[in-house]
Amino acid sequence: MESASGSGLQAESASPDRRKRGHGFESRQERLAYAILLPVLGTVFVVVTYPLLFAVGQSLRATRGGDFVGLQNYASALENPLLYDALGATGIYAGIVLPTEILAGLGLALLVHRTVRSPRARLALYVFATIPIVIPPVAVGVIARLIYAPGYGVLNHLLMLAGVVQAEIPWLSRRDTAMLAVSSVDVWQWTPFVYLVFFAGLQTVPRESIDAAQVDGATGWTMFSRIELPYLRPLFLMVLFWRIADVLRVFDHIFILTGGGPGSTTQLLSVYLYRVAFKFFDTGEAAALAVMVMLAMSLLYAAATRLLPLERD
Amino acid sequence: MKRWVGLSILTGVAVLALAALLASSGLVAAQGAKLVIAAVAGNESLGLKAVAPMYEREHGVKLDIVEMPYPTLYEKLVTTFQAGAPTYDLVMLDDPWMPKFGTEEWLTPLDSTYGFKRDRDIPNVIYEVGTWPPPRGPVPPSEKAKPKHLLGITVVGNVEMFMYRKDLSPAPKSWDEVLTNAKKFNKPGSMAGYVVRGAATNPIVADFLPILWSFGGDVFDANWNVVIDSPASLRAVKFLVQDLKGVAPSGSENIDAADRSRLMAIGQAYQSTVWPGEVTGIVENPKVSKVIGKVGFIPMPAGPSGKGYGMMGNWLLAIPKASKNGGAAAAFITWVTSPKVQKTYAEAGGIPARKSILNDPAMNKANPYFSALAKSLEAVPNWRPRTDQWNAVETILGTNLNATLAGLSTPEEATKKAATEIRALMKKAGY
Repeated sequence: MESASGSGLQAESASPDRRKRGHGFESRQERLAYAILLPVLGTVFVVVTYPLLFAVGQSLRATRGGDFVGLQNYASALENPLLYDALGATGIYAGIVLPTEILAGLGLALLVHRTVRSPRARLALYVFATIPIVIPPVAVGVIARLIYAPGYGVLNHLLMLAGVVQAEIPWLSRRDTAMLAVSSVDVWQWTPFVYLVFFAGLQTVPRESIDAAQVDGATGWTMFSRIELPYLRPLFLMVLFWRIADVLRVFDHIFILTGGGPGSTTQLLSVYLYRVAFKFFDTGEAAALAVMVMLAMSLLYAAATRLLPLERD
Repeated sequence: MKRWVGLSILTGVAVLALAALLASSGLVAAQGAKLVIAAVAGNESLGLKAVAPMYEREHGVKLDIVEMPYPTLYEKLVTTFQAGAPTYDLVMLDDPWMPKFGTEEWLTPLDSTYGFKRDRDIPNVIYEVGTWPPPRGPVPPSEKAKPKHLLGITVVGNVEMFMYRKDLSPAPKSWDEVLTNAKKFNKPGSMAGYVVRGAATNPIVADFLPILWSFGGDVFDANWNVVIDSPASLRAVKFLVQDLKGVAPSGSENIDAADRSRLMAIGQAYQSTVWPGEVTGIVENPKVSKVIGKVGFIPMPAGPSGKGYGMMGNWLLAIPKASKNGGAAAAFITWVTSPKVQKTYAEAGGIPARKSILNDPAMNKANPYFSALAKSLEAVPNWRPRTDQWNAVETILGTNLNATLAGLSTPEEATKKAATEIRALMKKAGY
């Protein structure tokens, strides 16, 4: 007892010292952690925080002279009817590419997950899926132009060779086909990314759950909706936001394929912002637009994370 | 020993200070220095690249030519100048950029700073296009009080001209004849009667302006009032998007200069407008063309106004104010525009502006467009409106013209919309 009691006393008496020593030790650890983080935080400040603050500052100043103009650039940006044309075009583009890429990517992931068992075949599919993602968007735009261009486009040539059409289809000159052409490039490049994400998600579904469901006679759809979908739910949100952010950034292939035309049919928000910034050189209005896009995305993300459950049931 | 160390440090500091002094004065650049030139990628910089090794050999100055695609070059230059960075010692600039660069006072005057004088062998219009504020035509309100200075010298004497298949018909004298010939030779699928360079923004505007001026229309009047929706301008728009489109290949809304020249080079087009760079690069290039010797080059045909207007598209060499090698850069401009070097420059594919070279029979044999270019310069081609808002105006006009060419709006709607947007832009810019 004594011993025990003594130990207890010792332990109690030693505790403040250890806490003191421990406190010092933790401080050193913290200092080390901060020292390690400092270059990263510094880089983030230089490449993210400073430009962001600079853009906000720019949006409150006149393009000519740099005088403080309050929210005038925001008002001027919102009054411009071309902004709403660009928003409309972005909405149509997103309405085409997002569902197509998510459904096709998910379908492919399920198909491969359920039917392809060979590790080599899976590796080959992984490599094939990676190729479009790593090609620079400019190169993708040039390749797409060779497919759709008037006069020498491969697609028209093949269609005419097969007797499907008698005369060239001006893919990039008509409102409907131009939007489809630029969307098809996005779908080609980014469906594999969606496939890879969902395929990785499907690998996390426990084998026992699937085996048990199969024993119970679950159908393919039940298996997907009751067993696999809950594991994919957080990934849906990630894919959705990643792709929405990409749709807002998309530029290269549209610039090369149509230059935003015909008229302003394919002038998406990013192309419009580029024009305001680098053709009109209205840096104040361009900064105001950029800040508004950033705020809208942040609000959308906050709303979606509240509405869509991130965790599995 | 300590004394030696101290003396060595003192000598080192003195040498460095002297070097810095010489470098800042521009004197050291004459020997063993480097000039960084921002240039446009493409045929327009062929001549410059060809004579660069000559300059290095003769003067010991290395030329670092940084090439960028057309739209990137403009953005790069504007952002570099805004930052006041001494990145480039010399810049190649398209003449419609002069109003922006002149208004912002980003360039060093070549006349008052380096004593540049006019040369009688170089057409006057070359000096006029390099002068800011503009010596003729409307002057932007903010520029009226500024003294005129020569800010750039043409290194590529580009003027937009006209090309046609001379083996099939005589040269058209008017736009009416252009349309008549186009209807005669148009065979859908095998030969286009006329190629409209109709891609959105800059391309379609470049194709349209000579027609607009020849029809008596314009973008602005002498007082910067927008007149693109005037009856004469509307007639020109209809001529392009209805008459000429009717004899053009499908997909005109996406055809740019390279597509137009390719169609001409493979014998699938009868006529179109043309820039000199397309002639050397594609139409008269034996490696790619099937129509060598079959294409005629002439100044722009006349319109209902009775006159044809070519369009200036000169590329100038200018010295940014931030350059630390101004003296050496000026010496290079003098050298590269000299008669002796211009001949070598032209032989290497460069587009000269000297009358003696453009009218030289031997040079004309090798470059069949030289005589047309000389005549176009002599006739004093029009330049695009001299306002620093031109890029924005061109974007608005080019988007609306492209829309009406694609049938998304009527010519009346397109001109009205373009005029409204341009008026709002110019008002905001203080015009």
